[in-house]
Formats: sequence, C-alpha cells, structure tokens
Amino acid sequence: MTTEVDVISCPVCGGKVLIESDDKVSHCGYCASPVLGPDQSRMCVNHPGILAKEVCNVCGDLLCEDCFEKRVGDYGGKLLTIVNCSKPSCVSESEWAKSLNEEYQRLANMDWADRADNIILRITGGGAVIMMIFELFFILGMLYMQYFTSLGSLFPQWTIAGITIPGLPVIALMIMGNLLGALLLQTSLQVFVHDRQFTSGLLLLFLVVIESAFLLWRGLYFNLRQLPDPTFLLVLLTAFIIGAFLILVGSLGAVYIGNKKRIQMNRAKDKLGLSG
Amino acid sequence: MPEENKVYTIFDRPKGLRFIGLLQMAFGAVGLLATIGLIVASIVGSPELPGGIGFVYAALVFVGVAIPCLIIGNFVDDLRRNAVIAQIIYSLAAMGLAGLFLFLRGLQYIWTVPLFQIELVIAIGNLSAFIVATQAFVILYLILTWDSAVPPAGAKVIRDRGEARRYEQDLVPLPFTPAVLSSDGVTELSDDESKHVLEIRKEYTVEGMAVLCSNCGGATPLTKVERNRLKCDYCGVTLGVSSVFVPCENHPEYLAATTCAVCGNHFCRKCLTAQEPPVDERWAGSTIFMCRKCFEGRYRPAVTTTSFVVPIDKLFSTAGSRFSSVGRIYGRFLGAYGSVMKHLWRVPLELLASLGKSGGGSGGDNCVGALIMIVIIIIAIPILAGILLLVGAIIIIPFLFYAGLIAVTFEAIKVIRKTDFQSIDTVRIQSIVEKKKQKQKQSKMRPVTRSWESDYERIPSEARRRQMEEHRRSEEERRKRIYEDRRPAQTFWGER
Ligand SMILES: [Zn+2]
Ligand SMILES: [Zn+2]
Ligand SMILES: [Zn+2]
Ligand SMILES: [Zn+2]
Ligand SMILES: [Zn+2]
Repeated sequence: MTTEVDVISCPVCGGKVLIESDDKVSHCGYCASPVLGPDQSRMCVNHPGILAKEVCNVCGDLLCEDCFEKRVGDYGGKLLTIVNCSKPSCVSESEWAKSLNEEYQRLANMDWADRADNIILRITGGGAVIMMIFELFFILGMLYMQYFTSLGSLFPQWTIAGITIPGLPVIALMIMGNLLGALLLQTSLQVFVHDRQFTSGLLLLFLVVIESAFLLWRGLYFNLRQLPDPTFLLVLLTAFIIGAFLILVGSLGAVYIGNKKRIQMNRAKDKLGLSG
Repeated sequence: MPEENKVYTIFDRPKGLRFIGLLQMAFGAVGLLATIGLIVASIVGSPELPGGIGFVYAALVFVGVAIPCLIIGNFVDDLRRNAVIAQIIYSLAAMGLAGLFLFLRGLQYIWTVPLFQIELVIAIGNLSAFIVATQAFVILYLILTWDSAVPPAGAKVIRDRGEARRYEQDLVPLPFTPAVLSSDGVTELSDDESKHVLEIRKEYTVEGMAVLCSNCGGATPLTKVERNRLKCDYCGVTLGVSSVFVPCENHPEYLAATTCAVCGNHFCRKCLTAQEPPVDERWAGSTIFMCRKCFEGRYRPAVTTTSFVVPIDKLFSTAGSRFSSVGRIYGRFLGAYGSVMKHLWRVPLELLASLGKSGGGSGGDNCVGALIMIVIIIIAIPILAGILLLVGAIIIIPFLFYAGLIAVTFEAIKVIRKTDFQSIDTVRIQSIVEKKKQKQKQSKMRPVTRSWESDYERIPSEARRRQMEEHRRSEEERRKRIYEDRRPAQTFWGER
C-alpha cells in the first residue's frame, strides 16, 4: 500500500483528476481523458488475461479488441471516433453515432502515399512560395521604377476616356500577377489532400503555364529588356525559373500519385457496392 | 454555425474600442463642465449671454453632448451592438456639425468665454477640427473592426471580467501555469527550481517503456507504476495512468497518453496536439486531442461513403477574411448610406419646394436662411462621412489585401515545413522556458477539426447494407477463431 496522495495529475494535460472509484475509470476534470482507478485491472472486463485496448465511452469499462465497437459520432458537425462496449444499454446509448466502416477504411487507406505526398507538398509548396515572393518583389520593383525613377517612360500608358493615369498598366497587370501567385500557392497546398491531389495537380500544371506566359508577356510589354541595369531582370528571372520548375515537377508527381489514388478509390467503391 | 455558438468575452474586444469608450467619456466630461460653466455664467449674468440664452445653451450642451457622450461612452466598449451603432450615428452627427462649423467659420474662429474673472479663450475652430478628426477615426475604426466590436445578434457575451477570465481559462487547451509544479501537484516551483528540473529530466529511460510527465516532460519507466499511479522521477508529481494501456503509435518506447479524438489511435504527449472542443454538449472535455495525421486532415473516419478530409480548405477565405469583411462592411454601409440618403435628400428638397410654393419673400430672409442651413446640415453630414469612408477604403483595402497575401505566405511556409503542428509536450516545455502561458494559436490555414456534413448525410444503399451485414458476420467468425488460439497477452510492465 502506498500512502494516499491527494492530487493526481492527468497524464495528458496535467489537470487534476478526481478519483471517483477505486476500480473504475475516472476522468480528468479538465480534458476528460480517462485515467485508471487505483485498484483497477488493466485487463478486458470480459476476458481476464487479455489486455484492454479501449474504454467504453458510456460505462467506462475496459475492453479488448473483441469486445468493442468503433463508431463515428457527429459532434457539432465534426466526425470523431468513439468506442462502446456490447452491453445493450451502452449500444443503445451510442446508437446516435454510426458504425465505423472498417472494411472501407482499410480499402481506402492511403498511407502508402505518405512519403511521396510529403515530398510533393514540399516541392509544389516551395515553388509556389518562391513564385509568390517573386511576384511581390516584382510589383514593388515596378512601382518604384514607375514613380521614383525616370525609367517609367519605358512603360506603356493607358488612356481611358481621354484620361491617362500614370502607372495604371503597372498597377493593374502586377496586381493580376499577385493574384495569380496567390492562386498558385493555394492550389499547390491542395495537392496534400488525397481526393484533390489529381485535380489540383492538373490545375497546377495549367496555372504554371498561364503564369509563365503572362510573365513573359509582361516582360516584353513593359520593355524590361531595355532596362539599363539588367540585375533586376536577371534576379527575378532566376527566381521565376526555379519556382516554375519546382511547381512543374511537383504537379507532375501529384498527377501521377493522385491518379493512383483515384484508381484505388474506384476499386474500393466497386468492391463495396458504393457508387456515387 | 460556429459564429453563433461562439461565446464572446470582454477580452475579445479590439484594443481601440476601450480607447473610443474613454474618448467618448472624456467628451462627455468636457460637455458636463461646459454645461456647468454656462449655467454659472448665466447666473452671474455674463454680458455675452443676454437673457436666458445661457440656460438654453447649457441645456443644449447637456442634452446634446454630455448625456449622449457619457452614456454611449459607457456602453460602446462593452461589445454591445446598439451602443456601437449609436456611437457611429452620433459620431457622424458630431463630425457633420463640427465640419459645418469649420466650413462656415474657418479654422481660426475663437470664442472668448467669461469664467469668473478670467477670460477663457477657446480656439473653437481648432476644437471643431479636432472633433472632426477624432470622430472620423472613431467611425472608421468601428466599421473596420465591426466583426469583433459587434458580436453577431443573439451571441452570448461575457462582460464581467472575472467570469470572462474563468471562461477563457477553461477554453485554452493547456491552462496551466508556466512553471513546473512541485511534487504536491499544486504549488509552483521557483524559476530556479523549474530550470533545475528541466535540466535534470531525461526524455528516455533504459528500463523499457516510459510515461512522459505532463508537468515536466520527463520520462519515468512504467516499472515504477504503483496502484496505477506513477511518481515522476524528476519533479515528483503523482501522475494518473491512462486507461489506454498501449504504446504510442509512433513511439513504442512511450505509453500512449490518450486517444486521438478523430482516428481513435493511441498516442503519447509528443504526438498529440490540443484544439478547442467541438460545440456539442455530448463532448465532455474542454479540449480535443488530435494526432498529426488528423490535424493535417489526412485521416477521416469512414461511415459509409468516401472519406477524405478537406484540410487547408478555405485558405483565402480565412486568411483573407479580414479583407473581405472590410469589403462587406463597406458594401453594407454604402447600401444603408444610399437608402438613408434617399430620405435625407427628400426632406430638405420638399421643404424648399414648399417654400417656393408659399410665394417666397413672405417668410422673410431669416426663415429661408435657416432652412438652407438645415438643408446644408442634412446633406453635408452624409456627404462628408461618405467621402471620408471612400478615401479610407482606397487606402485601407489594398493595404489589407497585401498584408493578407504576406500572412498567407507565412502560413503556407509553416504548413510546408510542418511546423504548424505543436505537440502538447513542446507547448508545455516552451511555456515553462519562456515563462509565459502559451496562447492558444490555431493555424489560420487549418480548420479546427473538419466537418464533413455533406458526405455524412449520404446513406448507404440496400445492397451496401446487406454487404456490410455479411462482412460483419465473417469478421465475427474470424475474431472468434483468433481468440480461440490466443494466449493471454504478455504485458510489458509485469502483471500487478
Ligand atoms: Zn487532462
Ligand atoms: Zn459500456
Ligand atoms: Zn475482451
Ligand atoms: Zn515530472
Ligand atoms: Zn488521429
């Protein structure tokens, strides 16, 4: 017998645990994580000798693999996994949650792609971040040249209804570039989502082509080749080429892996008679 | 839905709101002083205030400035919808009047107010300019922070500071003091003692599987468990033992602390992160623990249909929500502005028209002048406010847009580098080292646990149900077979 201790800390959050019963699971007063009672056996309540793996969410009994059911409960719109034992009262109290479809879960498991997905996310994401930063510097540089140096005379002007606003083409076209960069960034993160990987890979391929064409056109339209100091152009071009190359490689990978997942999903659906 | 369920506390209010409240109270106080001054001056019989006009002025200042400023100022910083609306209307009116004054009298206009034997010189023109500027700031600020200054209609707001503090503490996933607790689990150790514990604690044991301490993060071997309790080797706190007696999914060397709420797998403190719980009375805890995979949204429990999580979903709608909300508020404002203007224009125009019909001249110049004044006041106020808001929009919207883009880029870098996942273990140690309570920070890119309403609604077909039943039966048989030739489990910590 150990001496009585007054405060038991929750092993998860450190909150205080009030031991309600010596041989029953108590819950942390703060995070509600289950904690064993001081004299509680760690074995399944139905199978003494087999180690328990789960706790019933209703009665708090410890259960082994053969004795529990997993369910998916909708908690305020969020799907969380809960476990219940096979006592009729606990089953009926858990009925509001739907049974977990383990076979489907197994067929739709995509853990095999984790490594590849991580690499793809980093490649596309890295490329898109470079692209985004590149576009931000591009607009700053262009605005500086337009309004603070005489180089603005190189840039074309737009006249709308007889009024010429200086720098309007720079502002309009560069903001479009920023938006395109943002779109690239958003799409590049979507490749990490299993069921969007394929389509976002394709979209990314399309976007990177558009962005490249738009950029080249902007360079020509603003006569950037005639800048006296080529450094600005060279630095931006290098950043752009690296970014675009990364996105290209990443999106090809996303299309490849995403397509495999698509096939796997379709097979799983066929096998379980799920269609649509 | 989460918007309506969210409970607002006094700590949620934007910082400037308090300032606006104080500013308004200050105006009220000045108004009160002015009222008293006017009354005193009238009683004394100041030559500048012939007849009873001093009392009229005093009443006007009292009713028009002191009372509304004090009342509105008292309530506007309490997250009250009506007070904020009243403040905006009042500010518009004050700005309009002061602006009109400036327009008519210029910036150099000065009043000499007799106060007892002294002549008080008030640069009333400058005062008007000051009022215009401050009220413009007030209006702009309130409209820009509309979403945080004004809780949605029907939302619960906790205004009592004590109650708000308690409430906030219950919502932050890790509410504990940023110091190591002593072995009684209650009192805090001093900084030096905390540091000492952190220095000596080890995260690994040679004696097999270990439990990670929720107080100091040290690892104590499971062999030391007595009556399902464990005294931490380093800080001495008595830890309860988790009911899930399985190793962590990622770390076979640690006992799992608890289950991931989404996937139901068991993890140690290094592999779990804490988030706000779902808004649902069935969820007992004040926190929800999730593994990295579920945090990233890669796992989603399958009920009947396709089951892939939608993470990083509303990338720009959250990160750019500020931007769009400003746009929305401007839109809303301009809409309301337009409809009010319609009525405002009509009144003076009808007055003028009726004046014209009545044959003119007969009413006398004064009457016409007064009416024109009214027309100017009524028109000038909204026009001034409108121009100010538009100018504000031109400057503020692009600024917010680019600030949003940069913020999004930073968040994206965190997602790519996978540093947006913070385990409860790291957060705890960080809070001790930095000596401050970790603020609950949730990635803007990741929704707080995902919802899958649309998929969830779908129900299985009849064929599907039959198949599930079949599957369940075969699974049952398989389990039975396995059980028959299974020996009692070997435990890693020796049977108690
Ligand atoms: Zn706890
Ligand atoms: Zn039960
Ligand atoms: Zn069992
Ligand atoms: Zn410890
Ligand atoms: Zn999980």
